[in-house]
This record gives sequence, structure tokens and C-alpha cells, in this order.
Amino acid sequence: MQSSYDTISKDEVMEVYPKVAETIAEALGRDLDDVKLTAPLMEGLDAESIDFLDIVFRLERQFKVKIPRGKIAEDARGTLSEEEFEQKGYLTEAGLKRLQEHLSEVSPERFRSPIKARDIPRLFTVETFCKLVVRAQKQATKSPDG
Amino acid sequence: MFQASGLADKAVIITGGTRGIGRASVELFAAEGADVTFFFRQSQALANELVAAGRAVKQRITADQVDVRDGKACEAAVERMVSRCGRIDVLVNNSGVIRDNLLGLLEDDDVKTVLDTNVVGIFNVTRAVVTHMISHRAGKIINVSSVAGEKGGRGQTNYAASKGAINAFTRALAVELAPRGITVNAVAPGVIETDMSRDLLEQAPDEVKSRILLRRVGMPREVAYAIMFLASKYADYITGQILHVDGGFKME
Repeated sequence: MQSSYDTISKDEVMEVYPKVAETIAEALGRDLDDVKLTAPLMEGLDAESIDFLDIVFRLERQFKVKIPRGKIAEDARGTLSEEEFEQKGYLTEAGLKRLQEHLSEVSPERFRSPIKARDIPRLFTVETFCKLVVRAQKQATKSPDG
Repeated sequence: MFQASGLADKAVIITGGTRGIGRASVELFAAEGADVTFFFRQSQALANELVAAGRAVKQRITADQVDVRDGKACEAAVERMVSRCGRIDVLVNNSGVIRDNLLGLLEDDDVKTVLDTNVVGIFNVTRAVVTHMISHRAGKIINVSSVAGEKGGRGQTNYAASKGAINAFTRALAVELAPRGITVNAVAPGVIETDMSRDLLEQAPDEVKSRILLRRVGMPREVAYAIMFLASKYADYITGQILHVDGGFKME
């Protein structure tokens, strides 16, 4: 179940991308042209952590889905426990491997060990948010009540 | 050049709106032309009365029954308000309870009720509101603290701890939200003529007044004026502050 939930096709991503890009452009006050699918939010589009909250909130309204705040970290960990995923604030080897699988849209050279768990959002790209929306949509179809 | 307060047509939430400082704030903001929604927990009759009084003079006052200790209920109430008004411009976190007693005599429930309502309640309501304010890149949050948050008072450990927490919350949130143009301040009332201070005033009116430089207790409206100031355009450049509205309160 984890893997089918985790696997998101390019078509699914591209279906939501235009609206996600529009939402991110609006939240960050950027030109739509800047919001490329591969653009990293923090390093490429100058987003700050507080912007993530704004973006997630806007995406929830735009797509009429619920993205529970803890879900993003939970999804990143997958089946790993917190201890397996990180130790003393840094990702373990298994954690790094799992994160790379989960954030397959992020170019491999950006996963430079050691990575602090709190710095994971630095890796997020526009596509990460597209996947977040697709996952929330799938979740909503699975359990309409939430 | 004179500038209006900018409160006309603002969408305002005031928690704990049926009595005392909350009620005075509801009345003042509504009189300024704001669209006011107040939360109340128990007093349906008082809430109805306040709404009806506003309606009679064409003011916009809406009541919503919410227990601020319930995070989900706060979220739902904030969503109801946003779907009606489209946004939230001002949040006044006023709900609070008092259960004074010497520390050794405090029951678990006295501690829990005070901290849950006064502190957790502020987290619940503010968390539900901030996302809306962040998206609008504007907003004003005013927390109602107390003189007890900074000056010791016998039998007030629970209440003082809750108000001290509100002051710390105010300063920290001001830092967090400043980049989005949202200001966060608190008012710290002294002894105000409300149901909450009735016992104190009945037991030792002269002693209380002797500690106040202005030699009288304050009126709820006098605190509401300070809240209104912090919510207005006049306070656009003020954030992270605790404004004392206590007539000059002294305590050893």
C-alpha cells in the first residue's frame, strides 16, 4: 500500500502543476514563469519556512483537499521509525536513502550527507508540492471523511 | 493630518465576548464600523442580547458558541467566520478564567482549567487564524494578558503563570509573523471592574485602590480602548509589546 501511495506518475503531477505553480507564484509574489517544475522553493524561489505554511494552506483551498501538517514529515519517513530515519537531528543512512526515494524529483547531487532533518524542506521543489497535492487527492478518494 | 482608525469594515474576532473587557471590545469595535464575530462558551442569553443590541443600531455583530479549549471547534468557527467575511483582519484573544487559591490548596482542575483556557485556548484560536492572515500578508493580533503576568499576587500562581505565558507567546509570535506584516501585541489590564475581579474588590476595596496610582479601578471600556488602539492603523509600527492598562499599579 505504501508503494502505490508513494508512486505518483508524471501525468498525475502534470495535471496539477499549472494550478500549483499559479498558487506558489501568488504566495511568493513571483512571476509564473519562474515557478518551473524543478525549481527548489527555498534556494531557487527565495521561500522562507513561513511561506510553506502559506503555500500548503493555499493549496488546500485551491484543490479542496486537506494536507495535515504532520503528514509531510510522516510521508517523508515512509515505513521507517523516527529513530531509523534520524539520529540526533541528522538523517541516518537508511533515512537518506528513503528520502531520496520519496523526493525522486530532487536531483541526486542535492542529497549531500550529512543532512539535518530540519533542513529537509530546503530540498523541496515545485514538483514536491505537486506530489503533495496528488497524494492528498488520493487520500481523499480513499477516505472521503478525512 | 488626521487619519481615521481604519477599523471600519474590518473583520474582527473577539474571544470571550459576552462579559467585561471582551464585551466592551465587541461594542467598541462594532461602533467603529467593524464586522465583529465574538466567541462565547456558556452565556447564550448574554450573547443574544449583545447581538440584538448591535442589530438594533445596524451594527454587525455575530456570536459563535465555541469552547477555545477545543482546537477542532476553534478551527471550524474560524472557517465559518472566513466564509462569511472572506478574511480576518483582527484577532482579540480575550477569553480567560480565574481560579485563585493558595498553591497548596489548588486542585488539579484549577490548574488545568486556567492553563487550558488561558494558554491552550490562545494557541488554538491563533493557530486557526494565522494561516489566513499570512495569506493576506496583514493582520493584527491582540492578546489580553494581565498585571499578574509580571507582578506577583498571592493565590494567583495558576493565573499568573497563564498570563506570563501569554506575554512570552506574544513576543515570540511577533517575531514569527513580522515578516508577513502581522503585528502581535498584548494589553495587560490591572484591576478592572468586571465579574472576574468582583471578589477582590468586595473583600479589600481600599487596599486595592491604595496600590493604584490613579486611586480607582479601571473600567472595561478603558482596556477596550487600548485594544482598539493596537488593532488600529495608529499602531501599525508597534509589535511584540505588552501595553499596561492599570492606572499605575504597584505591588510589593
